[in-house]
Amino acid sequence: MNKAPAWLQILSRSGAALLGGYALTYAASACLARLLPLAPADAVIVATLPAFIFYTAAILWAFASRDALRAWALLAVAAPLALIGFWPQALEWLA
Amino acid sequence: MLLAGGVLFAYAGMLGLCQGLERHYKHVWNRACPPSWRRVLRGAGWLALALSLLLCAQAWGWAMGPVAWFGVMSLAGLVLVLLLPYWPKVAVGLVLMLPAWGLLQVFA
Amino acid sequence: MKNTFTQSMAWLHTWGGLIFGWLLFAIFVTGTLAVFDKELNHWMQPEIPASEVSQADAARRAISYLQTHEAQAGNWGVSLPTERSPGLRVSTAERRHGGGVQLDPHSGEAIEVRDSVGGNFFFRFHFTLDLPRNWGIFVVGALALVMLAALVTGIVIHKKIFKEFFTFRPNKGQRSWLDLHNASAVLLLPFHLMITYTGLVIFMLIYIPAGVDALFAGDSRAYFQAQGNARMEQPRGLAKQPGELVDVVPLLAQAEAALGPIAGFNIRNPNTAGARIEIRPVLGNRIALSKGQAMVFDGVSGQLLSDVTEWRAAPLTQRVMVGLHFAQFGGYPMRWLYFVCGVVSCVMIASGLVLFCVKRGRKYATASADASARRWYRLTEVCNIGFVAGLLLACVGLLWASRLLPAELAQREAWEVRAFFGVWLLALLHAGVRPARRAWVEQLGLTALLCIGLGLFGGLSDGLRQGVVACALVLGVLLGVLAWRVQQAVPAPLKGRAARSVEAGA
Repeated sequence: MNKAPAWLQILSRSGAALLGGYALTYAASACLARLLPLAPADAVIVATLPAFIFYTAAILWAFASRDALRAWALLAVAAPLALIGFWPQALEWLA
Repeated sequence: MLLAGGVLFAYAGMLGLCQGLERHYKHVWNRACPPSWRRVLRGAGWLALALSLLLCAQAWGWAMGPVAWFGVMSLAGLVLVLLLPYWPKVAVGLVLMLPAWGLLQVFA
Repeated sequence: MKNTFTQSMAWLHTWGGLIFGWLLFAIFVTGTLAVFDKELNHWMQPEIPASEVSQADAARRAISYLQTHEAQAGNWGVSLPTERSPGLRVSTAERRHGGGVQLDPHSGEAIEVRDSVGGNFFFRFHFTLDLPRNWGIFVVGALALVMLAALVTGIVIHKKIFKEFFTFRPNKGQRSWLDLHNASAVLLLPFHLMITYTGLVIFMLIYIPAGVDALFAGDSRAYFQAQGNARMEQPRGLAKQPGELVDVVPLLAQAEAALGPIAGFNIRNPNTAGARIEIRPVLGNRIALSKGQAMVFDGVSGQLLSDVTEWRAAPLTQRVMVGLHFAQFGGYPMRWLYFVCGVVSCVMIASGLVLFCVKRGRKYATASADASARRWYRLTEVCNIGFVAGLLLACVGLLWASRLLPAELAQREAWEVRAFFGVWLLALLHAGVRPARRAWVEQLGLTALLCIGLGLFGGLSDGLRQGVVACALVLGVLLGVLAWRVQQAVPAPLKGRAARSVEAGA
């Protein structure tokens, strides 16, 4: 990826930051909401309050990662988190 | 009145922390600062900031007080930073408003 | 985008800050102005009298007006005179912002007041950029996230953050701009981080509905009900039977004892057996935002039907964070603190934008630079002028338009908004055709004159309006000094290679 033209690298990192970051943030919030030992309404709030810390960290990762392809690693981290967050729905879909 | 005290203590605190740094002390007084004196200045600075928090909490309560305190500290620091390069002695002299306020509190 | 972590963060801070800084400046300026939205509303509608009428008298007069003119309506809304909003307004609409009739609190008679977007325009622009509400909220949310990233990357790359905490070296060109940018950013870091993060928290469930999707299968109504926000059942049957309204005044007193100062009330199904009186407090009696809270009384018996309950820890935390952003608490001293901090945050963003050009000016502005780079640099320069000075001009232009436009003009509010965007567009065009330094001086100078001249419109009968004009005067003087200094500043001499190549080309 490092041989690719600069504009493509920037586009890739920006995409990773915006979309990969959103995926990670969304998945992390869902995962937290599912795992927190609180009443569901409270869990939703407590899980979403730190969302923008995750998103900011994801943006920094997308531009600090060694190459523009590695920036998309955010999606790889998001997947298992989403699975934890949505495991009842996942089970239903599998059944 | 409490508010004024909070602001003045915040300014004094920022001034103490500022003058406790070598480069700023030298800029104002044109001589080096002995390390012990620097420590005193910084200690006094932190103490003044704590007193500023106390006064802000007296003025607004302990929920809103700390919010105001952060704002007051930041703005006092900014005023100091903007005054220092132009009128360094004035920037330092402004801290005398604090004992003046103190006297007002005692006698008025 | 570069080799080390610090280098890539510096790249992100620079380019993210530049591209998104233009709109972020607009968001921060309008947000700062929105701190005094009600005061600006009051100034922009000079027909509203300053009054010393008690809320009890005002309430009785409002109700007697509604009894006379709207006895059959399904809903009465009354906005009572408050410290920041001395007017008395009645309406029959569901939402409080549209329509309604302004009353004289002394006589209870209707008064003609010019339509105006008021200071509320700045509030709305701040979180929607005047786009359709849902789109605007998302766009501003994305910008706020970029702001957060800019703040964090700024901290990361500022290696001497403690050593240079108090450093400001004026009259040194680029160094001074960097010092100013650093000082305004670092000294107010708690404010910047707080205001940006809390801004995102306001609509956090719209941006990241993951929790609701996972735990409530995306059903927001189920989520709201789980919060204990179920709407009270409306007494349909009783609403068809006639009834006599109880005196509102003792209920207002009861609500005030429980909630603090009162902003207004609604009466649903007035003059029926199913009448309900909802009394709402002024926002800001505590940090946590009390929007939507109301004490509900039976409209015939005066019995308390629904009291405000204390929030649980999680929703309380969110409301406190939202309240920290809305800045309605703490009275006028706190409001001024927020306003001044807001102004400094605008200075931070603007100085960053200017620094970008100052840093690269020598390299890209001279004839020796390659043509495409020169064009991009010129575009950046023009955007800086148009989005910084131009926006300020547009804001004060809105205030002038609101006084110059005829009071009976149809669709007056739309014309005020057109004036705002029109001035902004003209400023961008002006920046495009004038040399950069002159454009800055002319736009800042004009803005300064218009701010200072706000007092010429008179109508300074009460403290709120005097405050608006006085504050504008101070800001105008500061902008005027800035314009003068920009005019006096001598551009830095070319150094080294750039100088030699210019000489070679000459």
